[in-house]
Amino acid sequence: MGQLNLFTYIPSTSIAHDLDVRCKLCCLSLMSLATFRGGPVPLALITAMVAGLLIPAAIRPLTLLRELKFFFLLVAMVFISRSVTTGGEPMINLLGISATKQGIAEGALLSWKFVLVMLMGIVFARTTKPSHVKGAVQWFLRPVPFIPETRAAVMISLFLRFMPLILNQASEVSQAQQARCFHLEKNPVKRLVRLTVPLLKKTFQSADRMALAMEARSYSEKRTDPAFIRSGHEPLTLALCLLVLGLSFMV
Amino acid sequence: MNQGYQLRETVYSALFAALIAAGAFIAIPIGPVPIVLQNLFVLLAGLILGPRWGLASVGLYLLMGACGFPVFAGGTGGMGRLLGPTGGYLLGYIPAVLVTGLISERLGRTRFADAAAMVAGSLIVYGAGVPWLKFATNMAWNKAVLAGMVPFIPGDLLKITAGVFAAEIIRKVIK
Repeated sequence: MGQLNLFTYIPSTSIAHDLDVRCKLCCLSLMSLATFRGGPVPLALITAMVAGLLIPAAIRPLTLLRELKFFFLLVAMVFISRSVTTGGEPMINLLGISATKQGIAEGALLSWKFVLVMLMGIVFARTTKPSHVKGAVQWFLRPVPFIPETRAAVMISLFLRFMPLILNQASEVSQAQQARCFHLEKNPVKRLVRLTVPLLKKTFQSADRMALAMEARSYSEKRTDPAFIRSGHEPLTLALCLLVLGLSFMV
Repeated sequence: MNQGYQLRETVYSALFAALIAAGAFIAIPIGPVPIVLQNLFVLLAGLILGPRWGLASVGLYLLMGACGFPVFAGGTGGMGRLLGPTGGYLLGYIPAVLVTGLISERLGRTRFADAAAMVAGSLIVYGAGVPWLKFATNMAWNKAVLAGMVPFIPGDLLKITAGVFAAEIIRKVIK
């Protein structure tokens, strides 16, 4: 599936690449909160920021559309269901189903938010090395009690490794099953089993290989972590994010 | 030996967290709560990893979501989603995976035990999600149940049935 190329790290020297990972992680969570809270004005600001980061990350809009077509289909469905189910004054009437003005506004806002969160995730994943994410998470979790920070951080980098792998294998399995006339199967349980079981089997086998490979390379929880390198833009970026967050609570 | 076991469990729980997240991408939005495959993976995490490591994988998944990664249903994420109207279902995964794991540990690995554990787990997810939805959106109780539980019961029964077979097969693969 397309997510594989969109969510993988690509080395470069853009502003987003050079930021300290800890700052980037902070900004990501601040921005996602602002996206959730915000009305049109903060959303427009966030969109401008994300677009500003996407352009140097060299992602063409057309590629984005093609790779995320399933996601955009889903967003469209959310938009339609929102605009039809929300009460208010009707605007468009089609086959007895009317889309209301309020519904369309709300649906558009919600879809906008969905797309923004997705884009922020893509920018982060494309500009950050998984090993650096691990280091940053470890740094944040150190003061939290009861969480073994090293293991949690390892799990996070494994998670980021597995995510695209699973999506890739899911589409592989469904294609393989379609080649075996799987789409003619009527029994819903069988359909579910025939999709999930091969997927789980495949992913567990690759997880097994991964564990073996880590063990073979003398994996241990005591290892040298990558150093954090500041680019100097951190205070400004963080201040900007906080400003947008504050704005999202006020407007 | 012990370290090898720990490493394998670590990798497996990370895998399950990623599966839960990937399951959220295959979502069908109906009304305010989308139908998702992810709760099947949450319950399977409890069955296959047991309570402790299952909890680790659900915790990891929620942590990734809280940090703002698009891992929640329909490709959203963020702290706001976790505290929003459907946040109860997400937070309900924590006790659900614990109870599913504990029940399957107690009852042993039979099909009946697996089914019972998964039913209990799903009930806990609704037990956390429906009241949360009610208080977050100020719906009436019957409306909250109608919007946040009834439409998903057929899907859940399917998922549990499929889960019983899946758990059996996966255990053979990883042993």
